[in-house]
Amino acid sequence: MSASIIPGSARADSGTDPALVAAYCSGNQGAAAELVRRHAPALARFLYSSGADHEDVEDLVQETLFRAFRKVKSWTGAASFRSWLLAIGGNLLRDHFRKPRRQIVSIEDRDIADRADPDADLAAAEAEKQVRQGLARLPRLQREVFLLRAQAGSEYAEIAALLGTTPGAARVHYHHAVKRLKELVQ
Amino acid sequence: MSDCTWLSDRMPAVALGRAEWTLDETRHLNECRSCREEWDLVRVTNRVGEEIVLAHDTARTTEAVLRRLEGSGERLRPRLWTLAGLAAAAAILAAVWTGGRDPRPAPAPQAGPVVAGLQIRLPELENLQPAELDSVLQTMDEPVVDGSTVDDPGLGDLDSDELQQVLDSWEG
Repeated sequence: MSASIIPGSARADSGTDPALVAAYCSGNQGAAAELVRRHAPALARFLYSSGADHEDVEDLVQETLFRAFRKVKSWTGAASFRSWLLAIGGNLLRDHFRKPRRQIVSIEDRDIADRADPDADLAAAEAEKQVRQGLARLPRLQREVFLLRAQAGSEYAEIAALLGTTPGAARVHYHHAVKRLKELVQ
Repeated sequence: MSDCTWLSDRMPAVALGRAEWTLDETRHLNECRSCREEWDLVRVTNRVGEEIVLAHDTARTTEAVLRRLEGSGERLRPRLWTLAGLAAAAAILAAVWTGGRDPRPAPAPQAGPVVAGLQIRLPELENLQPAELDSVLQTMDEPVVDGSTVDDPGLGDLDSDELQQVLDSWEG
């Protein structure tokens, strides 16, 4: 979609996330488009890293964004917009996993992007696969804290606000996750 | 704070390209196996899903999300009107059915069944002429649309924020 067909997009492509959220709340659809552009790829990666199947990621991203925009006034700013979005995605994924699965696709079956050095790439792909499998075996809270910290760069205080825990507890979850992942990835 | 804890706290920022290791930190990483393993883990975690990001069609996502948001906005208004209409219709029905027992002089509506024990007064209807009442009743004969049911009485009294909370609670 061309950004120019989105009302207000010309004014929405710069500005902070809070400013864009405020603009969206005032009816500027272009602000929503810019927020999607900024955060959808990170959300997709988070969902995939959390165990979502490749073919489910896009639906989950859309559903997460839709829900987020519908309740965007509940975003207090205690956590960054991206962290808040990822937390909503995590909740959605939990519900998704509770449903009967349509199809189980092995991680080995997914396409691995072509890279320049086949040997190094194979090793890298193997390491990524191991980490993803390890992440899938972590308790949910440990996995979410680890991904919010390691992949999204969220601070412990942000994570604590999102997940209803304390910064100290979030730090403990992170270190437990690291310890378990080290064991699982060996 | 130990060197290991310090390094651990810095790893996400460095992995995301928001910071760089200092010489001292690099030296520690080379000497501390535990930190090196954690650093490898954080780096690899930041590569997981890279192909998803590269292949992600943000424009398609944007279009789909905006379309859904617009659609949901359009659906909400008829639903509000339907619920409000249902509540009004129920009130009018009650007023018409109990009108025969109202001792006060008023233009008598057409006789109808009396619901025992139900006495709801709607003074604003008492001044209506029979033809006007008929007109109101005509509007109640229209079919209920949008899947709403009479299991929803009372929702028409909610304001938009309250109704949104109810809808959100239904959606979980």
